[in-house]
Amino acid sequence: MESVVIVRYAEIHLKGKNRGYFERLFSVNLERALRGIRHELHRTSGRYLVEKFDEARADEIERKISRVFGVYSCSRGWLVPNDLGSIYEAAKRIAPSFGTFKVETHRADKKYPLTSMEVSAEIGGRLLSENRQLRVDVHEPENRVYIDVRENGTALVFGSFYEGAGGMPVGSSGTGLLMISGGIDSPVAGYMMAKRGLHVELLHFHSYPYTNEGAKEKVVTLSKILSEYSLTARLRTVSVTHIQEEIHKKCAEELNVTLLRRFMFRIAEKIATEIGAKCLVTGESLGQVASQTLEGLTSSGDVVRLPVLRPLIGFDKEEIIARAKKIGTFETSVLPFEDCCTVFLPEHPAIKPSLSFIEEEESKLDVESLVEEALGTVEVIPL
Amino acid sequence: MIYLDNAATTRPNEHALERANAFLHDTFYNPSALYRGGVSAHAELEAARSELLGYIGDPSRFSLLFTSGGTEGDNQALFFARRGNVVTTAGEHAAVYESATELKNRGVEPRFAPVERDGRVNEEALLSLVDSSTALVSVVHVNNETGAVNDISSLARAVKRKNPRTLFHSDGVQAFGKLPFRLPPDVDLYTVSAHKIGGLKGTGALIKRKELALRPLLFGGGQEGGLRSGTENMFGIEVFRYAAEETFASLEKNSVHLRGLRERLFSRLEGTLTRISPEDGSPYILTVSAEGMRGEVLQRMLWDRGVVAGTGSACSSKHRFSRVLTACGYPERVLDGVLRLSFSPETGEEEIDRAAEAILAAVQEYKERV
Repeated sequence: MESVVIVRYAEIHLKGKNRGYFERLFSVNLERALRGIRHELHRTSGRYLVEKFDEARADEIERKISRVFGVYSCSRGWLVPNDLGSIYEAAKRIAPSFGTFKVETHRADKKYPLTSMEVSAEIGGRLLSENRQLRVDVHEPENRVYIDVRENGTALVFGSFYEGAGGMPVGSSGTGLLMISGGIDSPVAGYMMAKRGLHVELLHFHSYPYTNEGAKEKVVTLSKILSEYSLTARLRTVSVTHIQEEIHKKCAEELNVTLLRRFMFRIAEKIATEIGAKCLVTGESLGQVASQTLEGLTSSGDVVRLPVLRPLIGFDKEEIIARAKKIGTFETSVLPFEDCCTVFLPEHPAIKPSLSFIEEEESKLDVESLVEEALGTVEVIPL
Repeated sequence: MIYLDNAATTRPNEHALERANAFLHDTFYNPSALYRGGVSAHAELEAARSELLGYIGDPSRFSLLFTSGGTEGDNQALFFARRGNVVTTAGEHAAVYESATELKNRGVEPRFAPVERDGRVNEEALLSLVDSSTALVSVVHVNNETGAVNDISSLARAVKRKNPRTLFHSDGVQAFGKLPFRLPPDVDLYTVSAHKIGGLKGTGALIKRKELALRPLLFGGGQEGGLRSGTENMFGIEVFRYAAEETFASLEKNSVHLRGLRERLFSRLEGTLTRISPEDGSPYILTVSAEGMRGEVLQRMLWDRGVVAGTGSACSSKHRFSRVLTACGYPERVLDGVLRLSFSPETGEEEIDRAAEAILAAVQEYKERV
């Protein structure tokens, strides 16, 4: 009897002729998620089986698998020879010790001597006779024992379904560059785009010594959590210190943030182009802060040609927080390291800056050389 | 690196570490054990206890229990109050201030006396808060943010005169081994910590008047006379003992040396930085402000220039200003630029001169960049 994790996949089989491509990508992603853990991955009809792993790491495997996009559900179970005796031994491990249950059998091997109903009745009967505390309830059982008789002389026996992350295999939609801050929103935005198959690369802007190393550590931690879903391998950081100083010295105070964001978008686009990312991703949500008004979004989007994806655009803060909690980034995001020093925060930021005013203020700066200088500060942090 | 954040923690004393080393290796026994090894460990523990107490208190009047540090000692002292009110100051370390605030949830009214510009408590205001239901008064000995020294002996006497049943506690973490001081009979409880004088983090003590029936925070095996259960941190305690031995042997000499250095440093900074620490304060602390700048940013610029300094402000919009310095009544532009430079007996003249240069250069850099 061998412990296995059964992995079922979601949208992939809808993809017609591309199915082979999606499946290959999916299995590569499963392998990446399980990197460093001894296992074997086998594809069978319509599902994958993770086998030959160390039982002590089964929970970890299940968690990692459930976070791979494209996984519809997974189950811990047992792989046994298809004789009734072996199936029964596994069913005993799955069955509850008291309460109601039901056995459900699926038979891929149509030559199997018993029908699905007969297998369920036989195994259910044996479980009942051995444990007087059990009762069968075929309509609303508290527990189920699933038996899957396969074509190769084996059977899978399992008890519950662990919900997967859904979505599409990461990479199937190309590559994007996420601008990740230490806040609540951007990791959620990255998660949502990864879920739609985007391979997400990460870019963080810091302004040491105005921001501290703790803020950077926090972004590394967030990136690591996000990478369990997005399978991202690295974080890039860029210093915008000098840009902030120049804006602060030369431009209208109320535009500090607006102007900085335009620089960030320009830098992000350059890096995206260099690494083959075809879009930028941000955690912006309409109206959330002064720089995220329609005018604010327009003014930053205006300086780049790449599409800017803002998956949270129509979300309330509460909705974003709920997702951040589910993903597991919330607690890190609310740690008290800020990614912007109050030195550069205007008392009254412009809420609806006009493009002409912005451009006039920006003309006081040597935009091109500041961008070039910032690109010289790129650091790559492996996750 | 020139380390000027000794009020945060000091480098562990090498000699003390060496002398205490045996307690990590040969004599690692549990001092509660009844075989010979345990018994001799216990004897060492008692010797450390009596030596440490002896530096500041009369052993016939006071006893000392080992704790995990200043915070624990302060908590145990403050939570001894069960009813009535507790009077403390706006200049306390968070360990006392937050404990007093928590007392409110436990039915004890906390009262906070205002502080003067330099961080010293306003004595008159403090006494006016003490009444017939005051269970405890707690006043920090040396203000950890400004270095201002409260006259504990006279405050304790005045409190007892007003209400003889009121207990008097002082957080002596920044004073122990640094100021010449003997516990007067009017002080009931006094908190000290090891890692401010070359000991290790995680070691401290609470000194109490002998007959005071203190209550434990931690229950268990009944160590420390039942007042602080948990197997004793023998290594930490021994390091504390030996570090204190050195510190107290040269206390006077250190004071003179550091008072000279403090003034030497300030004379270099004068004109550029505003002084917050009083001249008659602890020689170990010089708090200044680069008005209109951000202390936290300067701190990082200084780190990059090889100087480690403390600060009293943050870039964060939430906890931007120090609670204590705000209570001293400084305006925001002073509060923003606070740097706390704190010394150890090892700090030398040449280091101070180099630090002064770095500080002035960092301030200049800040002005140019922002």
